[in-house]
Order: sequence, then C-alpha cells, then structure tokens
Amino acid sequence: MSTTSHSPVQPPAAASAAHFLWALPQNSLIGLLKAYRKVVSPVYGQVCRFFPSCSAYALEAVTVHGAAKGTWLAVRRLSRCHPWNDGGVDHVPLSPYYERLLRENPAGTPRIIVLNHPEIPADDEGRPSGPRS
Amino acid sequence: MDFLNTILFPFMWVVSWIMRAFHDLFTTLGMDAANGWTWTLSIVALVLVIRAALIPVFVKQIKAQRGMQALQPDLRKLQQKYKGKTDQLSRQAMTQEQMALYKKHGTNPFSACLPMLIQMPFFFALFQVLSQASGASDEGRGIGALSAQDIQQFDASTIFGAPLSASLLHGGGGDNQVAVIVLSIIMILAMTASQFITQKQIMSKNMSEEALASPFMRQQQMMLYILPLVFGIGGINFPIGVLIYWTTTNLWTMGQQFLVIRRMPTPGSPAAKALAERRAKKGLPMVPLLGEKKSEEPAVEAPAATKVQRPQPQRKNRKRK
Repeated sequence: MSTTSHSPVQPPAAASAAHFLWALPQNSLIGLLKAYRKVVSPVYGQVCRFFPSCSAYALEAVTVHGAAKGTWLAVRRLSRCHPWNDGGVDHVPLSPYYERLLRENPAGTPRIIVLNHPEIPADDEGRPSGPRS
Repeated sequence: MDFLNTILFPFMWVVSWIMRAFHDLFTTLGMDAANGWTWTLSIVALVLVIRAALIPVFVKQIKAQRGMQALQPDLRKLQQKYKGKTDQLSRQAMTQEQMALYKKHGTNPFSACLPMLIQMPFFFALFQVLSQASGASDEGRGIGALSAQDIQQFDASTIFGAPLSASLLHGGGGDNQVAVIVLSIIMILAMTASQFITQKQIMSKNMSEEALASPFMRQQQMMLYILPLVFGIGGINFPIGVLIYWTTTNLWTMGQQFLVIRRMPTPGSPAAKALAERRAKKGLPMVPLLGEKKSEEPAVEAPAATKVQRPQPQRKNRKRK
C-alpha cells in the first residue's frame, strides 16, 4: 500500500521537478492532516457526528480533489458540523479524473481511500448492508 | 474576560431587558419597585420565558434519546456482527454502519447535549448581570437594558434580609450574612433534591428494559453524583439572584419531566404501561408515543438506507478493474 505518494500515477522523471512544485501545497496539506490524525485525533477519540470523520474527510478531499478544492470541501464539511445536523455517513464527492487514475493504477490507492470506503460485510441473515445495483 | 463580555453582551442585554420588563410589569401591578421579592419574581419570570422558549429544543432532545433507546437492539446486532474483527478496516466498516444507523433513527450520541449548550450563554449572561450589579451600583452605571437606577435598586434589595447580589463565599450580606448562608444552603439542597427526583423518575418509570441494561444508563448514573457536586460548588460561589434562577430552572425541569413521563412516556417503559392502563380505564385507545413511529415503519427505512449506502458498491467495482 502506497502511503507516501498521493497520486497513483508517477510522472516521468523530466516533469518531476515541475510536478513537485505543482503538488507542493497538496502534499504539505496531506502531511499536516496525516500528522494531525496521528497525533491529535487519538487524544479525542471518536467525537465526530459523521463518517468519515472530518479529518479523514479532509485528507481524502485534498488527496482526491487537490489543495484548493479539497480545502473548500473540508471547510464545507466542518460548517456542516453543528447541533442541528443529525450527522451520518457523508462521503467526499467523486472526482472523475481521480477515479480514472485509480482504475489505471489500483495498487496505488492511498490508504485513506481504503479506510474511508470499507467493504461492508453482509450480516448474519446473508442480507448485504448496502443494496447492490 | 473582555472577550467573554463581548460574546455575552447581546445575551446580557436580552436577559436584563426581560428582567426589566417584568419588573416594570410587577411595579405597575402595585408591587414595591425596590422590594427584593419584586426582583425575585422578575428573575423567576425570566426563567419561565427562557424555558418556555426552549420547549421545542427539549422535545427534539427527547426524540434523540428515544431514538438512542430504540436503536439499542440494532446496535447490539451490529456489535455481534463485528465481534472479533479488530482490524482497522472492519472497525471503519462498523463505524460507517453505526453512523448510518444513527441517521436512520434520526439521532446521534454526539448531538444530545444541545439544550444544555443553548441555556449556557443565558445562564452566564445572567450571572454576569447579577455579579456585576454591586460594582456597577457603586460606579453608578447601568448594565444592558437596566439603568443605573435599576441596578442600585436591585443591589440594595433583599429577601429574608439577604441581598440578591450577596453570595455565601464572597460575602456582601453585611450584618445579614447568616441569612445569605442559610438561603444559599436551602437552595443548594432544593436543587440537589429536584435533580435526584427528576433522575429517579426517569430511571424508575421512563426507561425501557433495553435501555436500563445499556451503557447509556451508566452515563445517567454518573450525572446523579456529578450534578449535586456542581450545585454545591456553584451554590457557595454564586450570588443569591443567580441561585434563584438556577433553582427555578431545576424545578421547571422536574415539572417538565413529570409531565413528559405522564403524558408521553418512553415506549416499553413502566410509565408507558401505566398510561395505557389509565387510557384503557377511560375506554380510550392508546395513542402513538413520541419516538415509537420510526421503528414501526420499515417501508420508510429502506430508501433512507439506499441513499446512505449507494456510493459503496460503485467504489468497490472501480477498484477491482
């Protein structure tokens, strides 16, 4: 499982410097979020009214949608965390571009995406939890 | 402190305005404006206004609690399903299913403390108004909607000889500090007693057997011991005026709980059985109880679950390709 690279496709060596600069904001945010989830989150335990939790949501949003849109999505998620919201399951919106990257390189799926979209096992009665369509 | 005051200012204004309005009303009705009882009644009226305004929030909270109790069987099933699966992905899957379950029942353990949170700023605002009264009276200034004259009048007013702005620990009672001490202790005891009665009523009459066996119960029991401590510590620090507010709001809670237990008890609790018997005696059919409907309508649940879970299979399929 790749944890260091946010993108499932590695760019050719020539473009790597440009790519490094281009991806710098995104990677710094990813680093910060990972550090937060490693250090701060465990102190609080589970306190979020949503699944995935806000930090997991933010990490996936920045990973999938990039620094600008990801931050915007994360801020919108945070603003949804208020006493009048019942919470529940609230996934990051899909990104067609990132979905294509994932299809081309399934092995490079970042861990956060795996964690945020766990496979729901069928229960005792053999009834799957989510309807398959 | 300045920062806190800035946040509290609008609340202080509302609180002092309501108090003044009632004080004016009582004075118009022929009560003595400078009398401590007129001010006491104004504080009581303030509590009634705030608590009446909070009734809808309270109803929402009951629904949330009922929801929590109603989903206990489902929650246990879920725990059974994931028993022994301790790897991170299974935990994540379990959390996701749990959240979907909460949503389905329209409840969330992380949103149950709302009514307390809403009351907080009003309580702090009143605390600020009443505790600043002495100082403001000396400086000859007003607080919020209360004029300097009102504040001086309030500061000088007493009940049973105890000034409304005096407190047990911090004094201010002058020659009548004994009256302050006795009144404070009586009100601390009254608050603790009403809290105990409220809690006992809930536990003995208004909880289903499912809920009595749940971790939710332990939380309730903790409150039994923590709150009297809070009342005690607050009671010796806060001025008499604040204690009047606090005691009244506690008594309101007790009365409200009594009405809820009698008129709309938790489904499956002893109180619900008692209500059913009372209605049967009068020849009336049983009415649907608050929080009962949701668990009886599987037709409604299915589409809700569909909406929540839909992204799931898509994501998996794509990964496999």
